[in-house]
Amino acid sequence: MRRERIAIIEPSEMIRRGLALLLEQANYDVVCQAGSWSEAESRLATTQPEVIILGSHVVGSECNMRALHIELQSVTFVILATVACDDDILRQADGVINLYDNAAKLSKKLQAAIEQSQTNPYSDSHDLSERERDVLVLIAKGLANKEIADELNISIHTVMSHRKNIAHKTGIKSVAGLTVYALLNNMLDASEVNM
Amino acid sequence: MKSYKIDGTHEVIFSRDMTIAELLDTDYHLLSILERLGIELPFGDMTVGQMCDRYGMSSALFLQICRIYATSDEEVSTDELRTEDLTTLIKFLRSSHHYYLDVILPRIEAGIESVLQYCDLRQQLLLRRFYTDYEAEVREHLQYEDDTMFPYLEALVSGKQPEPEMIEHYLDNHTDICEKIDDMKSIIIKYLPERCSIHQRCDLLYDVYAMREDLARHTLLETDLMAPLALMAHKR
Repeated sequence: MRRERIAIIEPSEMIRRGLALLLEQANYDVVCQAGSWSEAESRLATTQPEVIILGSHVVGSECNMRALHIELQSVTFVILATVACDDDILRQADGVINLYDNAAKLSKKLQAAIEQSQTNPYSDSHDLSERERDVLVLIAKGLANKEIADELNISIHTVMSHRKNIAHKTGIKSVAGLTVYALLNNMLDASEVNM
Repeated sequence: MKSYKIDGTHEVIFSRDMTIAELLDTDYHLLSILERLGIELPFGDMTVGQMCDRYGMSSALFLQICRIYATSDEEVSTDELRTEDLTTLIKFLRSSHHYYLDVILPRIEAGIESVLQYCDLRQQLLLRRFYTDYEAEVREHLQYEDDTMFPYLEALVSGKQPEPEMIEHYLDNHTDICEKIDDMKSIIIKYLPERCSIHQRCDLLYDVYAMREDLARHTLLETDLMAPLALMAHKR
């Protein structure tokens, strides 16, 4: 199994090392531990973490979540709620972990956060792109991923990532639901689908 | 003084010693759990432990169900449970099925009809079709459990040893009936025309959310509690 690379940035050594220990046991690779953002910043390029866990002390004062998301787009940001934290900051994170979480819960939350950050590229737009609309219409027509890939001359992987984005933007996952969405928005004609 | 503790994440720790009144105060949705288990009001100062003893059910199971329904905790533990608890669990799951089929789905259907009168004919057809397909799917899913799965488990509890593959087959084929109701929610919130009355739309959404939430917990009970208990019974 692939081990996700994690950085922990938290001023309390006790918390930081405790968390690192738990994560190692849960089969994560803790590649960087730092007490402050400035200490971590120079090491991020060499350690290449996929997930950065930020103590709530660290966020706000010296690092801005919104800027981070733009700067490090592929990284998953998780807040470790050690002290009360602004709701706005929590919303900007991909996940929040708690001091009282055990290893199992920690693992679950991290996986959910990673998934969230992949399906949710930090963007304010909920409109479907032209390509996403093409994919959606083909989904509604009942085509499978492979067929959609062939029809649009793109890889299956790309189809999947379009599907994820469509689901995220519309809030609709099932083929039946997407079909209704496409029809409601007059993206295709009812005679073109098998309903 | 309250007879229960609060943990580090400010969630109530459910225990045998808390009174039923306190239990309901923490989350009134738990009323539906009592109802589905056929437990009658009033409770006076009866504790959870006393009530469970009176109704002959395990308080560990009762508390586990309450935890799943009232907290965000999704960790299910079968540690303190016994195979015999399947009987109470099945009773609960059957009542939940009854609630879905006979109470909430008809309400959602009526809600959809009332919203649809504001939509044009084409939209009406689309949404009605989407709903009826979904309802048929849920009905079939629940029917299978009522007619096949639960009787199988009841036989298991009574000491028979029917084929164990059944549980694995069940887990592999346990279809997701939450996804489409999620989709329905999104369509109603985001994409129905403005002409729909806000009251009717909200009433409908309340029911859709309630069904969605209940189904998610119901699924968790089946996959993380019922199935492991059944597997335990086989190993016995």
